[in-house]
Amino acid sequence: MTLTAESRAVYEREDLLTGCQAVAQAVRLADVDVIAAYPIRPYTEVMDAISKIIADGQLDAEYMIADSEHSQFEIVKHASSVGARAFAGSSGTGWCYGFEALVVTATDRLPVLFLVGNRALDDPGAFGVEHNDAMAVRDMGWLLCWASTAQEALEHVLIGYRIAEDARVRMPMALAMDGGFLTHSQHIVQIPSPEAVKRFLPPYDLGSRRLHPDNPISIAPQVNEDWVMELRRQNWEAARRARDVIVEAYHEFNQIFGPRYESPFFTEYMTDDADAVLVGLGTVAMPGRTAARRLREKGHKVGYINLRWFRPFPTVELRESLSRFKAVGVIDRDFAHGSPDDGGILLHEIRSCLYPARQRPVVVNFIAGLGGRDISIGNCEKMYSLTESAIGNEAMDGSVTWIGVRE
Amino acid sequence: MIKRVEVNYRGIFQKSLGKKIGSDIAIIATHMGQVGFSNGRYSDSPERNGIPCKYFAYVSPDLSEEELEAECGANLDIDTCDFSIVLDDTMVKGVEPWGWHGIRPINEKVTENGYLLVVSRKSHDELLRFIGKKPYPYHLAILEGDASLAGLWVYKDDLTHERVLGALAGLDPSLISMEAIEAHLLEKTHEQHRVDAAREAYETIRQHTRVVTPEEGIDWPYAPPVLPKWFDFPEGIVVPAVERGFTMGPRGQSRNTTFKRGTTKTQRPVVRFDLCTKCTLCWLECPDECFDPTPDGLYDVNYEYCVGCGKCAEVCPVQECIVMVDELRFEDNSSPWEAYKRDPAAYLEWAEEKKGTERVNYPFVTGTGVAVTAGQRVPEGKVIPVKKEVYR
Amino acid sequence: MAIVEPVQQFERIRNVHKVPLEELYTSGHRTCQGCESATVMRGFIKVAGPRTVVTGSTGCMYVANTSYMTTPWIVPWMHTQLGAGGSSAVGMAAGLRALMRKGKIPEEKINVISFCGDIGGADMGLSGISSALQSDYDLLIILYDNESAANTDIQATGMTTYGAQTTFTPPGKKYRIMQRRWKKNVAGMLAVGHPTCRYVATACATYPPLDFLNKVKKALSVGGPTFIHSYDPCPKGWDYHPRYSHDIGELAIRSGIFPLYEVHDGQVTYQHDARKNRVPVREFLMRQGRFAHLIDEDIDYIQKRVDEMWEEWEIPGVAPIKGGLKIARKSSATD
Repeated sequence: MTLTAESRAVYEREDLLTGCQAVAQAVRLADVDVIAAYPIRPYTEVMDAISKIIADGQLDAEYMIADSEHSQFEIVKHASSVGARAFAGSSGTGWCYGFEALVVTATDRLPVLFLVGNRALDDPGAFGVEHNDAMAVRDMGWLLCWASTAQEALEHVLIGYRIAEDARVRMPMALAMDGGFLTHSQHIVQIPSPEAVKRFLPPYDLGSRRLHPDNPISIAPQVNEDWVMELRRQNWEAARRARDVIVEAYHEFNQIFGPRYESPFFTEYMTDDADAVLVGLGTVAMPGRTAARRLREKGHKVGYINLRWFRPFPTVELRESLSRFKAVGVIDRDFAHGSPDDGGILLHEIRSCLYPARQRPVVVNFIAGLGGRDISIGNCEKMYSLTESAIGNEAMDGSVTWIGVRE
Repeated sequence: MIKRVEVNYRGIFQKSLGKKIGSDIAIIATHMGQVGFSNGRYSDSPERNGIPCKYFAYVSPDLSEEELEAECGANLDIDTCDFSIVLDDTMVKGVEPWGWHGIRPINEKVTENGYLLVVSRKSHDELLRFIGKKPYPYHLAILEGDASLAGLWVYKDDLTHERVLGALAGLDPSLISMEAIEAHLLEKTHEQHRVDAAREAYETIRQHTRVVTPEEGIDWPYAPPVLPKWFDFPEGIVVPAVERGFTMGPRGQSRNTTFKRGTTKTQRPVVRFDLCTKCTLCWLECPDECFDPTPDGLYDVNYEYCVGCGKCAEVCPVQECIVMVDELRFEDNSSPWEAYKRDPAAYLEWAEEKKGTERVNYPFVTGTGVAVTAGQRVPEGKVIPVKKEVYR
Repeated sequence: MAIVEPVQQFERIRNVHKVPLEELYTSGHRTCQGCESATVMRGFIKVAGPRTVVTGSTGCMYVANTSYMTTPWIVPWMHTQLGAGGSSAVGMAAGLRALMRKGKIPEEKINVISFCGDIGGADMGLSGISSALQSDYDLLIILYDNESAANTDIQATGMTTYGAQTTFTPPGKKYRIMQRRWKKNVAGMLAVGHPTCRYVATACATYPPLDFLNKVKKALSVGGPTFIHSYDPCPKGWDYHPRYSHDIGELAIRSGIFPLYEVHDGQVTYQHDARKNRVPVREFLMRQGRFAHLIDEDIDYIQKRVDEMWEEWEIPGVAPIKGGLKIARKSSATD
């Protein structure tokens, strides 16, 4: 990407950045007030970058090194409650160590933004990508989305804050990035100008929920059976409202920064006349799209769908899109041992989303790239052909294939 | 057919007692070939000293265990009960177990021709001065005795448990029979005096039971609870703080209006303002912010919020200045300081009359009994310091 | 780095008539009759004043106060998790400081106070509190110690007195005593372990009168991260009649089983010097049902440990170091 004349107005400069460094730049541009750090690979690099940005005086923020993820997450949660824009992040079992805090941040409806550098859960200690860590909050009232490039990562910090802080939503946001690949590999990234960001991202205002002597309230009193259902119902409603707010946010983003995103929830590639498609989260989009391109040259009608938003799940949009195809291959970079058909988490979400569809494609599942095992173009070609072979073969629906495992 | 029994008890003080009664009803009914089970009202937990709580027992001669469980098991509270046992008679003034529900009548759940069984030394008419009217007749049974108060660890074994079981058998042998009670107690304890206590109550309770007509009782002054719909209150689990406000004098301090908890008290402090040395200790040490400072340096008591812990009486350095008095001797929660200001002589007369001649104090470990001593009438304005040394 | 003025002038409340009359934690809370922890809540916010934000960790003072969607708080208050006594205070202080420095809210002194019970503060939350006491924020952490997980109906914690009966430590046919841990010395531990923390104190809500209030006032005026450990008699869990809450607290202090001191810039001062004329600890124990199962030898053992704390510790009640400073001779290292 090179800066064009009109894009100069909205972009400050371009630079070679890792995904983590790109997120750090976005944190600077979002003028975040409070940041709490605690080390764990691979997300840590974002804090390395942010601390330097603060040390160099490019961002005015309170920056704490916490004693644990639990404290780290509680610090930003309470900073958010007094009206400060807050940022934190984690990976793997660190994310799980602070899980209690993640749960209450959602039920307290505090729009903190977290970076999750996806990492395999211990044991064994392993640093490579796996999506189970971020997936753990999927039912807790979180916004959860995956970036597949450093540019997307940067932009989704800004988009994320805008959606999370919207008065209709006010939910915490987890921005997930494939650990190792996206967090650490460097790409040319266009960095927006502060002025343009100001136009897109309004200041954080918690309104009548801000904890301050001028606004005396009690937050999260204890309740009994008289209240919990109503409170859950409120949060259910917010999660539903989030879908419209997401659409608005991307529309506005495109207007300011140019036509970046044709659709907010997922991006389709070579799907127009496709019979079989693969669906995946995160960086697998690169080999996925490349393989599709090469197979097209050989006459295969295949395409790739890069799912960005997992919570809220784009039920209607994805149902409409996927029911156009004869077969769908779902790539899970996670596991759900003992679940229906012993498939991955994404498989279950997509199948239940497709169940009411008038025309239902055959859905097959691939468990791939666990613990950072690479998913090659060859792997993707194999997944495409397996998916194609499922066309018209109902018996294959729900079949699970492990890709790239030694056997 | 289902027979529902609720046991109204004072949190912690009667936790073990309430549970013993509830579970024994279920066990004894089962021994009689009926189906029974018991449970506590979960929302009362965590229990707090003195706050009204409930324990339940359900008995059916004909339903299956599953049906009985389905009918009575998974409820926040029960809608009706055939027997409402009250282990401390001061609860007849109403109970407010938690916020938003207001003060509920003690006989709220009692069915037509059902029974309200109260452990008390008061008469039917004395109790009915506080109990709300019902649209239909029901029975008021009085089991003569004092409220059996104990702590978590030291249980007060004063046979109230056995006597309540006996009284229930006296009121309705088909719920639990005296024979079944006797067999159960002997099997469990081999102690005849427990059976005798139960039998004494069994034989006499009818003489202390009478029908209460729809005309009897008071018009209940407190509204039933209304909880907001999910869209009628702010998102994010937020409630407005109590509005800030303080002025000198009665009710001058702003207080929580959705939970008042005055029904926690079994005794209330009666103050002889003429003896007050304005040492401030009652106000300073009150764990419930119930004393309102007055312009003349005295401290009014807000009985709507006072929980009757007695700490003020204990720390007061003047003899007979603050005395804890049985809650059932009082009809209203009006300001004692205002009454004193209106007519000092009349107030002092009233205060002494309420205090009576006996002083009921509890020893350090509640379960070890009650100390009843003779009170003295201190002449107006005669300040006699308490010679208090905790370590004697 | 701090941009808000950390120090308000400390003016001791000299007599009971000088205590602020207004309540900022008010009637209508579901605490037990005679709850001393409620008195702690009432007291700290009285002296802190309305320009204060408060968090409360899970425990009695959360569940019993803001019960069933109501609140007795007049100041802004927020629940925090059991182990977040320290981190919640840091979060609020950091947020307020950032917003003020960046001109997003008006600059003013806002007190940040976080309270937690003994299981939250002394067990689970210890690491977060330690880290808060290393920070440069103005915040006060109050540990209200009723010696049990009182909210879940009295389970033993690291702060429960040796020998006490709790639902986790019931006396039985084989073991008379199940609570065999000696009470953790949290205030001392935190004072000794955090050289830049300028103020750590222990307190009892109502004895001696005003002591607790003045310690809160002092902590807020000294500034920086500060810590107060209050010892709260609990009629529910300790099994004594609520009217005696003051007396039980007074006996704890006068028997020396709970040391009353403050450490201000390294200076230790005792508000009750139990090195002399201690009331026998039996007087404290035997007035509580939770010790009803103890026999003389148990009481003698507890008395022995208390005597040791006052007569043999290098800094009585604060640090269990005995025998003073010894320079090891080379050989003695291998003795």
